Formats: sequence, structure tokens, C-alpha cells
Amino acid sequence: MRRLLAFLSLALLGGCAGFSADGGFGPVQLSARTHLDKELRWARSDAERAAIQQRVAELLTRPLDAEAAVQLALLNNRGLQASFHELGISEADFVQAGRLPNPGLSLASLQRGDEHELERGLHLNLARLLALPWAGQLEARRFEQSKQRVALEVLSLAAETRKAWIEAVAAEQARRYAGQVMEAAEAGAELARRMAQVGNFNALQRAREQGFYADAALGLARAEQQQRARRERLTRLLGLWGEQATRLALPERLPELPAQADELPEIERIGMARRLDVQGARLASEALARQLGLSRVTRLVNVLELGLVRNSSNQAPTQRGWELSLELPLFDWGQARVQRAESQYLQALERVAETAINARSELREAYGNYRSAHAIAQHHLQEIVPLRQRIAEENLLRYNGMLIGVFELLADTRAQIASVASAIDAQRDFWLAKADLDQALLGKPGLAQAGAITATPAAADSGGH
Amino acid sequence: MVSRRNFLGGAALAAGTVSKVAMAALPEPVIQTSPDTQPPLQPASGRPYNPVVTLNGWTLPWRMNGGVKEFHLVAEPVVREMTPGFKAHLWGYNGQSPGPTIEVVEGDRVRIFVTNKLPEVTSMHWHGQRLPCGMDGVTGLTQAPIAPGKTYVYEFVARRPGTFMYHPHADEMVQMAMGMMGLWITHPKGKHPLIDPVDRDYVFLLNAYDIEPGSATPKIMTMLDFNLWTWNSRVFPGIAPLVARQGEKVRIRVGNLTMTNHPIHLHGHEFMVTGTDGGPVPRSARWPEVTTDVAVGQMRQLDFIADEEGDWAFHCHKSHHTMNAMGHNVPTMIGVDHRQLARKITQLVPDYMVMGERGMHDMTEMEMPLPDNTAAMMTGHGPFGPVGMGGMFSMLKVRKDQKAGDYSDPGWFKHPPGTLAHEWQGPLAEPARPAASAGTPAVEVNIRKPTGAHHGH
Ligand SMILES: [Cu+2]
Repeated sequence: MRRLLAFLSLALLGGCAGFSADGGFGPVQLSARTHLDKELRWARSDAERAAIQQRVAELLTRPLDAEAAVQLALLNNRGLQASFHELGISEADFVQAGRLPNPGLSLASLQRGDEHELERGLHLNLARLLALPWAGQLEARRFEQSKQRVALEVLSLAAETRKAWIEAVAAEQARRYAGQVMEAAEAGAELARRMAQVGNFNALQRAREQGFYADAALGLARAEQQQRARRERLTRLLGLWGEQATRLALPERLPELPAQADELPEIERIGMARRLDVQGARLASEALARQLGLSRVTRLVNVLELGLVRNSSNQAPTQRGWELSLELPLFDWGQARVQRAESQYLQALERVAETAINARSELREAYGNYRSAHAIAQHHLQEIVPLRQRIAEENLLRYNGMLIGVFELLADTRAQIASVASAIDAQRDFWLAKADLDQALLGKPGLAQAGAITATPAAADSGGH
Repeated sequence: MVSRRNFLGGAALAAGTVSKVAMAALPEPVIQTSPDTQPPLQPASGRPYNPVVTLNGWTLPWRMNGGVKEFHLVAEPVVREMTPGFKAHLWGYNGQSPGPTIEVVEGDRVRIFVTNKLPEVTSMHWHGQRLPCGMDGVTGLTQAPIAPGKTYVYEFVARRPGTFMYHPHADEMVQMAMGMMGLWITHPKGKHPLIDPVDRDYVFLLNAYDIEPGSATPKIMTMLDFNLWTWNSRVFPGIAPLVARQGEKVRIRVGNLTMTNHPIHLHGHEFMVTGTDGGPVPRSARWPEVTTDVAVGQMRQLDFIADEEGDWAFHCHKSHHTMNAMGHNVPTMIGVDHRQLARKITQLVPDYMVMGERGMHDMTEMEMPLPDNTAAMMTGHGPFGPVGMGGMFSMLKVRKDQKAGDYSDPGWFKHPPGTLAHEWQGPLAEPARPAASAGTPAVEVNIRKPTGAHHGH
């Protein structure tokens, strides 16, 4: 018994891990600071909560720009706070895994006639004890993954909030312009009514003007619906509740379109180095190698040209001046002598390559979208809107000369307003494309795929069981 | 093939191909660029005659060559000022559209050189002349077309005195729509039993253009919906007044080269139609008129004594023809009060102004910016304010003290005391109206509809 206890204490000393000071929040906070330049807080105490609320109230005092919206969401989004607690859960699991399993205590009271026997027993789960170092390692990695997952969640919430903000502001602008179209149509309809009243218009002419009005009213109702939906979506991401939500004020218009779109010829290379999903996949494959006990590196292999390892060389000249490579160590399999290990590791390498290929394509797509969205928005602002403006001016001159009537003038006004509205749509699309591009430099752009980033380490993981 | 659209560019090309040596044998082409009425051209050579005055135009000088009167017409693109502030890109002759008036005397042998500086072929038809068929100027039918850069010569005797025109019969529709036309007057040789001598003899052509406001070139495909109704390619207030000394015998000769008829109406006087392009009207066939309809392709010669002093309106009686460029689909706003609505419209169209709710007269008073190079619908000004007319409108100014042979504008008429309409200062009697009409709504138009085919009525 004594010897057993001695063994146990030794094992515990080796595998024992305590709770960290920041609960794993530090790296997440750091990631928010470096990638987003934003402050992150974990509301674990009333004091923290009060501090967050104060900051939120402060941010809500003036119209919220995109950066302030992102900051507000990162502080106030309850889903994100819930994810922070996942860190706590994960760390607890990790610490728990390193602890000595609780000994079982049994007490038996047996009676045989007058004989009264008390049996006390102390049980220990020996199997768990033996697996202790291994389980600790597993949970440590799970804890690491949690931190990574939460960090990605922070980035994707930031991107989502930025896009929601753009859409809310644009929807508000569109609603204003729909209101103006409606006013022009309203004036036309009222005028037509008076024309009919004094006998200058027939029922058909009046109905036609009334029709424009009815269409414009529909357009306005749709724009209002859209505006409400966009604003509420932003409100949800910002985690605003009750009176806070009514205090949410947005700027009147989207930021100006930059005169030039950024030239980013190196975007694929930069993105490849920076993207968290690529880095994550690489770390996962390295961790797997350690786990498989692979140690002696024979050479480095570019996983994007993994085919070279097994196939004969394919020396087709590359089309660009530079090519991307993602190199990982290739091991000597002799030590492990396990077919399974080789397959697992090569599988991991393929996963890394897949992630890299997707990342690169996404970067190209996001950059292409960004460039064309800029060109389109600029075309709207510099060509279409001024042209419609010019047409409107010329039409006013024609109206002055009694060459056209007031109804034609109003119809043209509606067209002119509509051109401004489409320009705003184009401007919105540019800022959305910009947000996607920024996100593509950090991780998978777009929200539908956000979860896929963690899939790679998980796939590598399964081999450990 | 030279493109029709190649306006001045094509012309420059054509001009360059006319040989200087070949031109030296021809009478020097005389060019006129002023749109003002030029004084009558007194004949310096040949038989004497009493010259005409071309309204906002001029008469082409000639040279005598072995007893033959030689003229030189140059067909070319021109810029015609239709009214101050509005210039049109037309085709014409010797710098103007219409081209210069040709004046000859009955029995003159006439030789006319026609040089083509247009980007396409042309020809010249001498409307109303008795001449050899081969001189009649119908491309394809009586002659080959005159190619760009080429000069043709026409020669015939002006056999019949009267009022005539010249115009191409090549690419018919285009060349007339672009303004290619001119007047031809053959004066009688000596005393004529049916042609009285007159003190003043005015001539002009009726023409019409469709020029999109703010542009300069006529839309040649337009058939009827013209927006500029002109006299000698001018619109009022760009048309000069016809002046006369009180008691003078005045002749006005009008030719119509538009695509509709024009009832030409003179105020304050009656006239006789004393001639057409067919010749002088027998005295027994003349009757007094104040309006004579000039049908398409016709010419009318009106004679009268200018015996009433004043500034008398003289115009086409089709009311749209005394307007300049205007929209023909503009809704009638009369009686529609939209002052309050205007505020709403002004939010969207900042410079919007209410117009037309009391009729169109406001147009003459509100001088608002128009598209560039546009003749305002009505802009003439008289001594009593804006004149609500444009287009085919001018005045006959009769004065006691106008000197014979003086064609200058004497200014506005000073009405003798008691001869001017004025505001009534006395009480107004209420007009008697039939009692039955009181109950019916003012604007309702009742139309009897056929009921037989309808069910349920
Ligand atoms: Cu007329």
C-alpha cells in the first residue's frame, strides 16, 4: 500500500498541471490586438461586467462607425462571451486530466450474529492512473485548439459585424432615397389628380401617374423592411438589449470610396504566411508527427507539390515570377516502422496542402472581387451618377422651354434618384468586398465556412485514439 | 461613297477638289454671310428693272458675257443664324440658306454655273421656268447628278415673267430638309398689262426645320412634326419687318417649300393675289383677301396699297406656326393650381418653376435658361411687352414719313391720341347667362355614347 502511494505521488508530480492565470484568454486577446487592433474582455466578474457596460455606453454616445461597431460587438456579443467560457471548460478538462483520479473509499459493515465487522477499503482507478500522462497531453492539445477556435471566432465575429454595419448603413441610405422617389411620384400623382379634376387628364393618364406612385410606395415599403432587418441584424451582433438598442445611431452615409483600390500583387504570399487556418493546419501536422513519435527529419517537402515525392518529376515551367511553397519536414519512417503512421502523416500533409490551395484561391477571389467592386462603384460615382445629373439638368432646361412637361421632369427625377441609389449599392458592395478581403488575409472569408478551419487538426487528431 | 453624316468634313474634301484654273473661267462666286436684309440690287448692266428685296436675304450679282447673264451658285454647307442666339447647320448656296435671289428680265439669256461643294451629288431645278427639258435639273431623269467638286452649267432664256424658285431634285428629301432653295424673279420687259409696277417688292420662301433643341442640324427624316417654322430660314424675332411709306404700292411674293400649307395673313389691309408661279392672274379672276393659303410647292404674289399707318402683324395663321421650338406632348396645365406641390418638386428639382397653369403666356415673361442654341418659344418684344409669337411672324410697318427706297426699321409706331385700346375704367355689367347651365359642373364634358351594344345599361 505504501509503495503504491509512493508511485502515485510520483506520477502526479510528473503529470500535474495547475490553472493558468489568464484561463487561456491571453493568446486570444493578443490575437484580437494584433489582427484587429481591438480590445477584448472576458466578463467573469461583476467588476468586469460593469467595466464592459460602461465602455458600451460610451461607444453608444455617438454614431457608430465601422471600427466602433466591431469593438462594441467584441465587448458585448454574448455568444462570444459564451465561447470564452469554453476556454474555461477546456482548461478545466486539461487540469482535471492531470490530476490524480479521486480515490474511491468503501465502507462495509457486516454482521454475523454478534460479530460486527467493518471493512474499509481505498480504491484507485489504476487504468486511469497509468494513462495519466497521455490523457494530459491530449487535453493540453484540446485546450490549445480551443484557444485557436475562440481566436478565430473573434475574427469572424469582427468580420461579420463589419459587414452587418455596412449593410445597415447602406440600407438606411437606400431607404432615404426610396423616400425621395416616393415624394417625386407623390407629387406627380397629386398633380395628375388635379389635372383630372379640371378636365386636363383622362382616367388613363391619371391612372398611369398613380401607378408610378403605387410602385414608389412599394419600393419605399421594401426599403423600410430591408433597413429594419439590417439594423436588427447589427443590433444582434452588437448584443444590444432594450434601451441600448434604441440608442444605436449610425452615420448618415458609408465612408467615401477610396480614389484608388489597393494594389496587392503579393496578396497570395502575404495571406499564405498570415492565415490562421494554414498555420493551424501546419501546427496540427507537426503535432501529429510528435505524437507518432516521428523525429528524424530526412528532408523538407513542399506539400503543395507533394506529388513530386512519389511521382517522377514534373518540371513544367511556372507561369508567375514567384511561386508559393509551404514546406514541412518529411520523416524517416524507419523508426516508427508503422504503415499506419506513414499514412496518417501523409494524410495530414494532404490536408495542409488542401487548406493552402483553398486559401490561395480564396485570396485571389477576394482580391478580384475587391478590385472589380471598386471599379464598378467608381463607374457609378464618376460616370453614371454625373451623367444622370447632366440629363436632369438638360431636362430642366427643356422643361423651362416648354419642350417637355412636368411629368416627364418628375419621371426623370425618379430615374436620377434611382441612379444615386444604385451607386450606394455599388459603394456598399465595395466595402463588403473590402471586409471579405481583410478577412481572407486572416482566415476563411465568408461566414458559412467559418467552422471548417478547425476541421484539419481534428482530422489529424482522430489518429490518436 | 461619301457619308451623308459627314457634314463639314465632307464639304472640305469636296471644296479641295475644285480646280482653281477651272474656276477662273467662271464668274467669281459671291458669298454673303450676314443674315440681315440687304438693300435691293440695282441692275448695273443688262435690261433695267425694278429690283426686289429678299427678306433677311440678298440678290446674287451677275456678269454679262457676250450678252448672256452669268451667275455662279455654289452649293455648300452653311451656318444660318435663325434668330439671335440660335444657329443652324444647313446646306445652302453662297454662304446662306436660302441661297441668293436671282433676278433677271423677261427675254434674258441666262447661264448659271452650279458648283457642288456638298459631300454628295446635287442638281438644280428651276421651278416654274419654261426651258429645254435637259435644263430642268432632275437627276437621273433629265441629267446626270453633279458629283461633289464638279461644276455644271445651265443655260436657257427666261421666257416668262413671274415669281419662281430654285431647288435641287437630287436626294430630294434630304437636300430640301437641309435648306437648299432660293428665289428666282423674272421681271417683265417693259410695261405688262397684268403686272403693275410697285414701289416695294418683298420676297421670301416658307421653310420648316426640325432641330432638336440644343442641337444645330435639322432632323431630315421628320415628315410633319417640325418645330421651326421659318421665313427664309429665320424665325421671329429674327425676321425683319416689311416697311413701307404710307400710300405706297407693295408687293409680297411668297413661295412654300415646306410639307404643309400656310395661310398667310396680313392685318389692316386687303390684298389681291395677282400672280402665282404659273404667271400673272387675269384681273377678272382676282378677289380681295386678308389671308391667302400658300399650298406646298406654290408661290403667291400679293399686291396692296399700304395705306394704313401702323405696325401690322403679318403671319401664318396656323397658330403653332407662330411658335418656335416647343414640345408637342406637353400636358396642358391650364387651371391646375400646383403652387404648393411645387415646393415638394423643388426639393427634388431645385430650379423648378411652375408654368402653364394659366396658359403659356408666362413663357414670354419668364426668361429661364434653355438648352444651348435654342430659339425660345416666344421671345419677341413689342412696345407693350412680350409678343406672344415666334416662327412665321413679322410686321408690316407703314409710316407717313418713311422715305421712298428706305428699308430701315422705323421703330415702334406712335399711336395718335384716342386710337389705342385701353383699360375700361367704368362699371362692369354682369353678363346674362342662361339659368339652366348653373346646375351643371363646369368641366364636365357630356358625350352621347352608343348604348345598343351594351348589356346592363
Ligand atoms: Cu404656317
